[in-house]
Amino acid sequence: MKAWLTIIMCFGLSLAWAESPTVWFGKKNASRVLVINSALDLTSFEPILQDFVAQYPDVRVAYRDVNTLELYYLTIEEQSSPVASLAISSAMDLHFKLVNDGYARTYQSSLTDNLPQDFKWRDQLFAFSLEPIVMLVNKDAFPGPLPEDRQSLLQTIRQHGQAMTKRIGTYDIRQSGVGYLLASQDARQADLTWGRLLEAFGSHDVQTYCCTHNIIDDVADGKLVLGYNLLGSYASQRAKDDDRLKMILPKDFTLMLMRAALIPKNAPNPQDAGLFIDFLLSDRAQKMMQEQGLLFPIHPDVKNTDDPFVVSAPGPTGIIELDQQLLVGRDYAKQQRFIRNWEIAFEIQREE
Amino acid sequence: MWQKSLSPQNLNDDEKLALKKAPSLRFRFIVSGVIVICVIAGIAINLIFDYSRQLADLSYDRLLRSALLQMDENIALIDNQVSVDIPWSAFATLAQADEDRVFYKVESLEQGFITGYDNLDSQPPKQPVLDQMQFYNQSYSGESVRFAWLERHLTNPESAQTVRIILGQTRLSREKMASSITQRAVEVVVLIALVAIALIMIGSHLVLRPLHRIEWALEERVKGDLTPITINTPKETHHLKVAINHFMARLQKNLEQLENYTADAAHQLRTPLASLKALAENARDNTSPEKQHLALENIVRQCDYLSQTVTLLLNQAVVSHRLQTHRLEPMDLLVPITASCREHAVPALHQGVRLSYECSLQEAWVLGDGFSIQQMMQNLIENAVRYSGHQKQQQTDVIVRVEELSKTYRIQVIDYGDGIAEEEKERVFERFYRARYDIAGSGVGLSMVKDILDHHHAHIEILDTQPKGTTFQVDIDKLSFFRGRI
Repeated sequence: MKAWLTIIMCFGLSLAWAESPTVWFGKKNASRVLVINSALDLTSFEPILQDFVAQYPDVRVAYRDVNTLELYYLTIEEQSSPVASLAISSAMDLHFKLVNDGYARTYQSSLTDNLPQDFKWRDQLFAFSLEPIVMLVNKDAFPGPLPEDRQSLLQTIRQHGQAMTKRIGTYDIRQSGVGYLLASQDARQADLTWGRLLEAFGSHDVQTYCCTHNIIDDVADGKLVLGYNLLGSYASQRAKDDDRLKMILPKDFTLMLMRAALIPKNAPNPQDAGLFIDFLLSDRAQKMMQEQGLLFPIHPDVKNTDDPFVVSAPGPTGIIELDQQLLVGRDYAKQQRFIRNWEIAFEIQREE
Repeated sequence: MWQKSLSPQNLNDDEKLALKKAPSLRFRFIVSGVIVICVIAGIAINLIFDYSRQLADLSYDRLLRSALLQMDENIALIDNQVSVDIPWSAFATLAQADEDRVFYKVESLEQGFITGYDNLDSQPPKQPVLDQMQFYNQSYSGESVRFAWLERHLTNPESAQTVRIILGQTRLSREKMASSITQRAVEVVVLIALVAIALIMIGSHLVLRPLHRIEWALEERVKGDLTPITINTPKETHHLKVAINHFMARLQKNLEQLENYTADAAHQLRTPLASLKALAENARDNTSPEKQHLALENIVRQCDYLSQTVTLLLNQAVVSHRLQTHRLEPMDLLVPITASCREHAVPALHQGVRLSYECSLQEAWVLGDGFSIQQMMQNLIENAVRYSGHQKQQQTDVIVRVEELSKTYRIQVIDYGDGIAEEEKERVFERFYRARYDIAGSGVGLSMVKDILDHHHAHIEILDTQPKGTTFQVDIDKLSFFRGRI
């Protein structure tokens, strides 16, 4: 299994490098260079990076978009001489494991000191956004009433089996780090519901994807009617501009996910990486995330309740806590079993 | 708080220098007190360091144990394979140590690595015992880690395996807890130590205050005031006060003796000087050479007498000085007695007195001062010779006799003179008392004898000699322990 993952990783790595070249921000003649490995879609992040280099003209930022799982293996592989000085990911568990296993370095500033204890760990891992995990539906293509929660989704699948087959999209948990995290947290929050969902997904030939924006694209096109467990920031961004799309926060429980940053242990430019972390935590950047609809800030300005970037969940929220419990989800035996169960649920159907 | 007993203005330069050089009792007391307190505080802090660490380990080891037991509960044999499903709650327990990294490994001795950190090869320091959890510190991943270690059998009807669980947690929270305990405890210890030091300083002042009061009492006295100190002092300084009072009493006595001696001397010298003057005037006024010659003879005789008196006074001064300054020592009583007998035998014979010495002892050890005893004997013998030889034509005897009694030595000086009337016997030891003014004498010889004997704690008695005459009988204690020593 491990070897298999490594092969995936190597393959994915070369793929990632081929697919997403480095994007540069800032002046060409800037004296310092900050390389960032990030699993954040550039569309959500570009304005923030632009603002950063505008404020710090001495720094030139090289931005490399990397998948969450690839980012994890890349950080371990490059541990002795990393190219990037900052790693940003939505796969909290993998980032947490990197810190736990000693791949990160400590950074402290007045801004990180002000960050609540729940949003940082050991002064090595810093969360800068907190977003809901949502379902995204194509209003026109969806058969029946729009689902409010997981139960009503199951009901729709049961009632409109034919219409739903091959038209639900979610992450391939073997390829996407954040996909695995969300699935395992789903299973943890409601084991029974997860079992039924898995069964229903398997029997209706759910489509699996590596990345959020592919799912959203297909939902928008009508190729899919529903995307399950999507990152709220991307979904919200697209739903804002596209009338066909509707973002749904499940009423039974809404998972809340943090995006976090760490500085690799032997980072070549830890000073500017720290500077960037401070910038992400600054009021200016946090405000920008909310106002420009890029990300969900940690402490949103809640005065405007209609703002789509203020979470107003209809039911309880389950914040995925940034603590040692994340290690359990990434336990080798547990992970193996979880992925096997997931594969069994999906492959049985494929064989038929 | 720091009171100097004497203001430096009261001291002359030498005393100031001595004060500067002198070691301070209070300083020593405080320094030794501070050292003892510091040592105790140091030991206490050391113990606290160990204890707080143990306490922190005890508390956090419970979390570790609970997490490990939860893991253990979820290990089972399924299809003869070890299966582990770590519960989320196990790590929620560990998350109470919020900043601590977690490492673990589950392996089976038969099947090998099952889950966790593959490279975590940790051996407990003690010999592993099945089903017995061990806790120990070990370095892993660049940090000191507290490990819990458990090995146990998994059995089902078909197979059995031995499974080993290692769960580790970095020591950050433990150290934080230990240091917060230590900090509080150290604060308390330091506070107690400071209070103790302050108490020592105040205490040293209070303890030494009675001494200062005695000092002031002495310092404020008018010149020549040698009366005892009467201020109230605590028990501890009472002896000092008594000693000072005794010392002053001795000083007072010495002064009195000096005054007496001066008075004696003046008294003794005045009479012969007056008669010398009279004789000299007589010689000047007389025209006849014979009478002038006679007067000059008288002047010479008077000078001899004056010289004797001065010698006596000198001896008395020496004796008095010796009695004040010399300790009594073991001595042979017979040595000064025979010496004074030998010295007076010939002068006595000139006065028609036969001096004899009767003694069957080889030695007679007493505690005394040889010179004073000799002076005493000389006085007694001179006295006896003088009073028995007076205006007697035929020869008389003076006998010096030494006997041994059970506890004392008895010295008798026996003369066959006119004797002393009963009512005068009491008075002869008084200073300047002279029983008969027709016999030459100073009037101080016997009082000196009495002084010497008093100093030796000896007893003197005046008896009548049969048929007539006087016997001076002295009883002086034997040196009892000396004999025991032989």
